[in-house]
Amino acid sequence: MLSPFRVLHPTTIEEASSELARLGDQAVIYAGGAELVLLIRNGLIQPDYLVNIKRIPGLDGISSNNGEVRIGTAVTHRRLETDPVIHARLPALAEAESHVGNIRVRSQGTLGGNLCFADPHADPGTALLVYDASVEIGGANGGRQLPLAEFLVGTYETALQPGELLTEVRVPPLADGWRAAFLRIERFYRPTANVAAALSVREGKVDAVRLAVGCVGPKAMRLTELEGQLHGASLQEADRMLRDSKPYLTEKLEPVSDLLGSAGYKITITSVLLARALEQAAQGNGGAH
Amino acid sequence: MIDELERGVKTLETTSVTITVNGTPWKGEIPVEDVLLDVLRSRVGLTGTKRGCESEVCGACTVLVDGAPISSCSYLAFEADGKAVTTVEGLADGDVLDPLQDAFIRNVAAQCGYCTPGQLMAAKALLEDNPSPTYDEIAHWLTGNICRCGCYPAIATSILEVAAEKRA
Ligand SMILES: Cc1cc2nc3c(=O)[nH]c(=O)nc-3n(C[C@H](O)[C@H](O)[C@H](O)COP(=O)(O)OP(=O)(O)OC[C@H]3O[C@@H](n4cnc5c(N)ncnc54)[C@H](O)[C@@H]3O)c2cc1C
Ligand code: FES
Ligand code: FES
Repeated sequence: MLSPFRVLHPTTIEEASSELARLGDQAVIYAGGAELVLLIRNGLIQPDYLVNIKRIPGLDGISSNNGEVRIGTAVTHRRLETDPVIHARLPALAEAESHVGNIRVRSQGTLGGNLCFADPHADPGTALLVYDASVEIGGANGGRQLPLAEFLVGTYETALQPGELLTEVRVPPLADGWRAAFLRIERFYRPTANVAAALSVREGKVDAVRLAVGCVGPKAMRLTELEGQLHGASLQEADRMLRDSKPYLTEKLEPVSDLLGSAGYKITITSVLLARALEQAAQGNGGAH
Repeated sequence: MIDELERGVKTLETTSVTITVNGTPWKGEIPVEDVLLDVLRSRVGLTGTKRGCESEVCGACTVLVDGAPISSCSYLAFEADGKAVTTVEGLADGDVLDPLQDAFIRNVAAQCGYCTPGQLMAAKALLEDNPSPTYDEIAHWLTGNICRCGCYPAIATSILEVAAEKRA
């Protein structure tokens, strides 16, 4: 049994935002409910109001304009896993989405719910980071945009302020010649560690690279220092540098031991996954940009 | 009827819904916090759908909403208003079993049978989505349907056989 609540169905972002501001702690945003229903069932939260955002028109679309892909917050994992635009333009995201939970979680849960819940054991954020995604936030004072890397603050923590909601994820195109890949390892249904790589190779050397890791520490993160060091390295050298990156990863990722794996295990496996993701991206196995 | 004694706390809001369950419209006034599993079992009276983990992990509660498999244990029932819900009771056509049910029996794809309604519904959704799945695709699709009796090989064989029958 769930503790009782009322459900509000705003039809505009402004209305949702003003209801959230008015009700404060009594209200929570409700999207797919895949996470929220469990939180309520387990007594972790006892909201008086759910603010259902799924009836706000325009939050469940996927569009592509001049190469930029825009994904509404209420788009489900299943749709992202199967959508032709996502497959063509963001194959590493499609791959990440195909691993989320199980087919039922993917049918019910939304991308926005995933990012806003900010569970560190999540997949889409890791892939979106190597695409340099940003998020669009709606609120009483209009919208604001933030890089995803700044939106994700920590475990169960985002940059959302009271009265604000995530409305859209925007992903700029990768330049020609870039390739991306996503890999994850799991013991249970949630990932133990995941990585994403986006790469451009020139004459057998790393021209530019973006790397991201999720699930190891409190949030998914880009590895900017390591990215810089790989510039100009041959693919073979880059492979070795990634396999040798454990000290850096330990410092950078603040690994947490949990039921899914010990901190040491996660760091070791991450260094291997990074090397494999780079190789996959180099071979184009992760798909074209 | 889920009464307030069992519920322990008073409902704040109810809503009237019309849900097409296995082809037949069901109308009712339900508390907004009721999950589909409880409405199906206690209000509609269909107890084929099982309660397991209540955490979206085991799949015993799998039903289809407009064709999509969901965990009815964690899906608010008001969302099914105006939609079509298929439960295990909706698979057979009178006394004629669904080919998947026949194949499960033939291959002994159940021991205790507790997970079976969920396995069947997940399998049904898979074949709608992908009429010729490979073994790996079956395994990936069914990762969220746990069978503590370990009937996985027989379940996969059943799905492969039904897919082959349909092709023939
Ligand atoms: C069994 C199980 C396995 C899972 N496995 C994985 C996995 O392998 N990988 C993975 O990445 N995830 C996994 N998840 C998490 C899953 O992806 C999320 O539960 C789901 O995407 C949440 O989306 P939702 O729409 O259902 O969110 P809801 O449950 O509706 O909301 C989740 C939270 O986000 C807030 N929220 C939702 N939308 C917005 C918005 N637009 N603006 C502001 N706040 C908002 C809500 O208030 C709530 O706090 C798993 C979940 C379960 C239950
Ligand atoms: S009871 Fe719903 S998934 Fe286990
Ligand atoms: S048959 Fe017993 S749990 Fe699957």
